[in-house]
Amino acid sequence: MQKIMIIEDDPATREELALLLENEGYFPYTVTAFTDIPAQAARACPDLILLDIGLPGCDGFSLCAGLRRAVSAPVIFVTSRDSGLDEIRALSLGGDDYITKPYNIPVLLARVKAVLRRSGRAAEPEVIEAGGLSLHLAKGCVSAGEKTAALTRNELQILACLMGHAGEIVSRADLIEALWDNQIYIDDNTLSVNVTRLRGKLAGLGQPDLIKTRRGMGYQL
Amino acid sequence: MTITEFLSDRLRRFVLWAVFAAVTAAFLLLTGTQSGIVLLLGIVWALVVIGVQTADFLRCRLRLRELESIMEGLDRKYLFSECVPRARNAYERRLLELFCRAGRAMIGAVSDAQAAQREYREYVERWVHEIKTPITAAGLICRSADSEMRRKLTQELSQIEAHVERALFYARAESAEKDFVVCRASLAEIAAEAVGRHRSLLIQNGVRVETENLEQTVHTDKKWTAFMLGQLLQNAARYRSGSPVVTLSARQLGAQVLLAVHDNGIGIPAHELPRVFDRGFTGSNGHGRGGSTGMGLYLCRRLADCMAVGLQIDSEEGKGTTVTLIFH
Repeated sequence: MQKIMIIEDDPATREELALLLENEGYFPYTVTAFTDIPAQAARACPDLILLDIGLPGCDGFSLCAGLRRAVSAPVIFVTSRDSGLDEIRALSLGGDDYITKPYNIPVLLARVKAVLRRSGRAAEPEVIEAGGLSLHLAKGCVSAGEKTAALTRNELQILACLMGHAGEIVSRADLIEALWDNQIYIDDNTLSVNVTRLRGKLAGLGQPDLIKTRRGMGYQL
Repeated sequence: MTITEFLSDRLRRFVLWAVFAAVTAAFLLLTGTQSGIVLLLGIVWALVVIGVQTADFLRCRLRLRELESIMEGLDRKYLFSECVPRARNAYERRLLELFCRAGRAMIGAVSDAQAAQREYREYVERWVHEIKTPITAAGLICRSADSEMRRKLTQELSQIEAHVERALFYARAESAEKDFVVCRASLAEIAAEAVGRHRSLLIQNGVRVETENLEQTVHTDKKWTAFMLGQLLQNAARYRSGSPVVTLSARQLGAQVLLAVHDNGIGIPAHELPRVFDRGFTGSNGHGRGGSTGMGLYLCRRLADCMAVGLQIDSEEGKGTTVTLIFH
């Protein structure tokens, strides 16, 4: 489990962020005493640091340099300062990414994942398996037994989302949001069309009724 | 200064001199001076007067031209009184002193106003940064609500966020110091940021967003451009039609890159089109549905002007609207 150090002075944000990361399968480590943070980081040995800029008694910019010397973990700035100058300064001081508040949660999680992957601290699953299907994310295809079908980007993301929540009902609204998170900006009608096509392809693999429609609630794998 | 102005300024003096000359001539003639001598004296005196006055006129005109050219060359005209050369006589010196006092009072007033504006802007920026903390916390907290509630709250929060952003960019656009950073930026990244920020509003309104050919990069400030795109996306959601589609497409035209934001919404009446970038202009569409501030496009225009990005709008009622950003 990857340890993520949260350096954030607003208690509500800090606690909720820790909760969010915990639910996502990370091990959050929150800093509550803002003195000698680099030493705390050296003791905690995190895999990633989320760093606010406006902290009591010190600013994140100078802290970043200290953290860089103390630990090798990548640093993501998470701040409400959104001017281009701040961003350039943060990245030139060795920040690995820069996210402005208020962030949207899927984006934050995606950036955390991306930075962890870049720093070689996370193994991204290449294949998702559920319901007798194997979904190859990098290759963009799905296989059942011996048969394989190529998927479009939209179909791939829909199936990934359904397989990620296998057994649960995924509402159409949640599906649409998950697609928007992956920069596929579709509407309700397009979703229906894509699900129909996806069902057609799964039927070709001998799995015609795998995606069930739960009327008024959504889809279920 | 024209010759007529000069003469009319000195008319009373000339009349007085003429009367004095006539009286003197009469006196000389009465006391027995020969009329030829009186005539000669008169001519000599007239020539001297004309010569002196002409020189005077030329000097005045030269002086005024000099002052005018100083004024022309000044960037901030109210600094004029600080820049005039030394006065040439007591009268002029007194006048210039008065100008100087007036000018200094004005400079004081202007710099006070500038300082007040700067302080206000700093306050707005700080306030915006502070308000973002609770908005972020609220966004994280409402995750634990059930999905319907979460969706509604998220949409309200993103509305708050959109208003806060507009306040921030208003303060930035109106301020004298522009702190944008122009660097090479990918249109796809900018578009993803703008769409991401307004996704609740767009999804809620059933808007489909299509992107075409956004692999290009342009020289611009990422944040400012994403904000501008955000305003256009909000407009597309607000003034939507039956099945709304927004297309973001880029194309290269010589050295320029054109980014078009096209929607198939209700469009803007032709006679209102020239005024849509005016501050506070809402038009018949805005009156019809409320929630229009008349600030979105105005801010786009201001920010685009600052960054020297071109901004064009085309619209047809009932068909849709296309706003094009032109990057150089």
